[in-house]
Amino acid sequence: MLKELLSGAMETTQPAASAPAPAPVPASSQTFTPSSAKSADPPHLLQTPSVSSTKSEGMVAEPRDPPSSASLHPPEPSSSAGPSHASSSYVITIPSCSGWFSWDQIHNTERRILPEFFDGKSASKNSEVYKYYRDFIIRRFRVNPTRKITLTDVRRELVGDIGSIRRVFDFLEEWGLINYTPLAKPSAEDKKGNDEGLEKKETPRRICTNCKSPCSMACFTTDKADIILCARCFVRGDYRPGLSSTDFRRLNITEETKTDWTDKETLHLLEAILHYGEEWKKVAEHVGTRSEIDCIARFIKLPFGEQFLGPEGSINGNPHKEKDEMTTKSIEDNALEQGSPKRMRLTPLADASNPIMAQVSFLSAVVGSNVAQAAAQAAVSALPKVEIASGFTVNDEKLHSAADGAKEEDSPAVDQQAYSEILSVAAAEAQAKLETEQKDVERYISDIVQVQMKEIQDKIIHFEELEYLLEKERLQLRHMKDLLFEDQLTYLQHNTRPISKGAEGQNTKSNNHVP
Amino acid sequence: MRFFTPGAAKASIKFRMPTAENLVPIRLDIDVDGNRFKDAFTWNPSDPDSEVTNFAKRTVKDLKLPSTFVAHISQSIQNQLSEFHSFEGQEMQIKEKIVPIKIDLRVNNTVIRDQFLWDISNLESDPEEFARTFCKDMDIGDPEVGPAIAVSIREQLYEIVTQSVSSARETRIGKKGRRASDTLTNSKAGITMDLGKLFGSKGSVVRKRKEWYLYEPIVDILSNEEVGALDAREELNARLKRKLDEKDESFQTRYSHG
Repeated sequence: MLKELLSGAMETTQPAASAPAPAPVPASSQTFTPSSAKSADPPHLLQTPSVSSTKSEGMVAEPRDPPSSASLHPPEPSSSAGPSHASSSYVITIPSCSGWFSWDQIHNTERRILPEFFDGKSASKNSEVYKYYRDFIIRRFRVNPTRKITLTDVRRELVGDIGSIRRVFDFLEEWGLINYTPLAKPSAEDKKGNDEGLEKKETPRRICTNCKSPCSMACFTTDKADIILCARCFVRGDYRPGLSSTDFRRLNITEETKTDWTDKETLHLLEAILHYGEEWKKVAEHVGTRSEIDCIARFIKLPFGEQFLGPEGSINGNPHKEKDEMTTKSIEDNALEQGSPKRMRLTPLADASNPIMAQVSFLSAVVGSNVAQAAAQAAVSALPKVEIASGFTVNDEKLHSAADGAKEEDSPAVDQQAYSEILSVAAAEAQAKLETEQKDVERYISDIVQVQMKEIQDKIIHFEELEYLLEKERLQLRHMKDLLFEDQLTYLQHNTRPISKGAEGQNTKSNNHVP
Repeated sequence: MRFFTPGAAKASIKFRMPTAENLVPIRLDIDVDGNRFKDAFTWNPSDPDSEVTNFAKRTVKDLKLPSTFVAHISQSIQNQLSEFHSFEGQEMQIKEKIVPIKIDLRVNNTVIRDQFLWDISNLESDPEEFARTFCKDMDIGDPEVGPAIAVSIREQLYEIVTQSVSSARETRIGKKGRRASDTLTNSKAGITMDLGKLFGSKGSVVRKRKEWYLYEPIVDILSNEEVGALDAREELNARLKRKLDEKDESFQTRYSHG
């Protein structure tokens, strides 16, 4: 149906129609293709042209009167009703009333509103020219969709008379095909039920009116014109000629917009850390409204945060106990089950069922982790015998601290010997593990060294081969050189002696023949 | 085959631009308090006058110029338009004439030099299309070059055409014996090509090889320093010229009263 409509006017599609390589537009890394530019709705909209040309309220400033204004389309959320094209990092939106637009065709609406190009009155104003203007303007706008393009930008680069260019430009602007940003329309915003396309934070973000980027550090505002500038624009002096730098006053936002962590957020944070440990990405997800960096920063700032930062091996009962208290206090729901293995790992010593362990934990809590560690090591080294018992369940991280989470199945009677036995067993186990580790490390190193050697060897072989080939080539060249020399000589001989002296020439040739 | 001799066909028509679209080239060069605004574009003379003021306002707003420019711009455009309109009622003589058009422009970083023949009597010619094709063929990256070429062509055509109007007036008023072709050949507008020589028995339509270099378009891209240097030189020349003009004026006024 489209083809019939256009067959009369449109000639062969010009190269300008192809989106990938537009000559007038500076190279841009757009990714939208002509096929995707065809809106998803053309069939519907075109079959009912009167409805499609009806503008939804509030979409565009001046409502035009279509020939038969039937029922108004209920204003759809402006951002994604029309086709959205992903282009670099922006999403280009056009109002639903302009859904008919497509790169390859000229729609009835365009013909109706800009008849000068289509009535054939002037030979140089035809549909090709119109298409060229339209495509150029729209493409130019889409290079930087956050910035409104002006007529002056465009008319300086388009060949043609100002009046026609202006009319095309105004048409496109009115119908939202250029300079259309949903954020700029207050009525459109009201109709948004959710945050479609808008990322509203809880705290008001200041957006610089000039460069449309959020102001982070400080912003400058003037009462004269209701303009907010970020620091960069202010320094650059990019404001209207009517204003001067003295009209602006400065507002610091660095701390204003950053809210304090609510209790709920802190709660979530701690939960998440308990669950995920140090996977900040997951923690941030769990918290929800904070970024990874914020979470980490907040965590560090928490009163007990520092103590969590070390490797879990060196952390003894003290922080764990405190954390227990904290968690039991602050966690309302039972996020932590009693038997969860992580908890056990973290707080093996707080297991009150084992009185020895309880004592050890108490002692180490009293003296502090470092001291406890030193004492244990001393005890280990002093013990003569090393007994390796079986039935250990030791976690790898606890190797280097005496107060390890070494759980014994049955603990003998509470006396010194049992205590030292436990220690020695732990120490022996630790030793064994240490040795295996060392051996592993050595093995790896030797492996690496071997691999390197092999590499070098291979290289040497390769180079030798190359050398060999080159040598052969050199010999060949030499041989050819000799042949050439011979040929040259014979040629000279023939030339210098005339044919009559052929015999002599032969003799001389044979005489002068240089091997 | 009949050969057209120059001066044979004297079509006398109403004044208009010898192009398909009757568009006027407008050039703006406004200097107010040290702010200089230069621009050139094509205007449709049948647009209403309100367009002029709208355009001026819009341009000033878009380019963030001081608002004093609005008046200057509108006035300049109006002047040029009324000059065009003043020619409109009169008659001009277009003969079978081929004129050389020369392009010698510098637009931002691109320098274009070209020369070609244009048929004045072809009232359907299209400088815009020429400019578009030129830019496409020569692969010119800067999109501002196209309009500049179109405007330049139009200006030259405009000049030729206005000359023909004034000479048409002269022939009517002047002596009988004088042939219009003489005055026109002596005009500064352009040197007419002797078509008879070209299309005569000895000539051919194919250009001689040794002349090719004359008609080849040259497109140069300058570096930023060269552009800066050229700009500075032009600025200097313009200033000197202005000073000389002022001197001339004062000289005239001083001695004209005497």
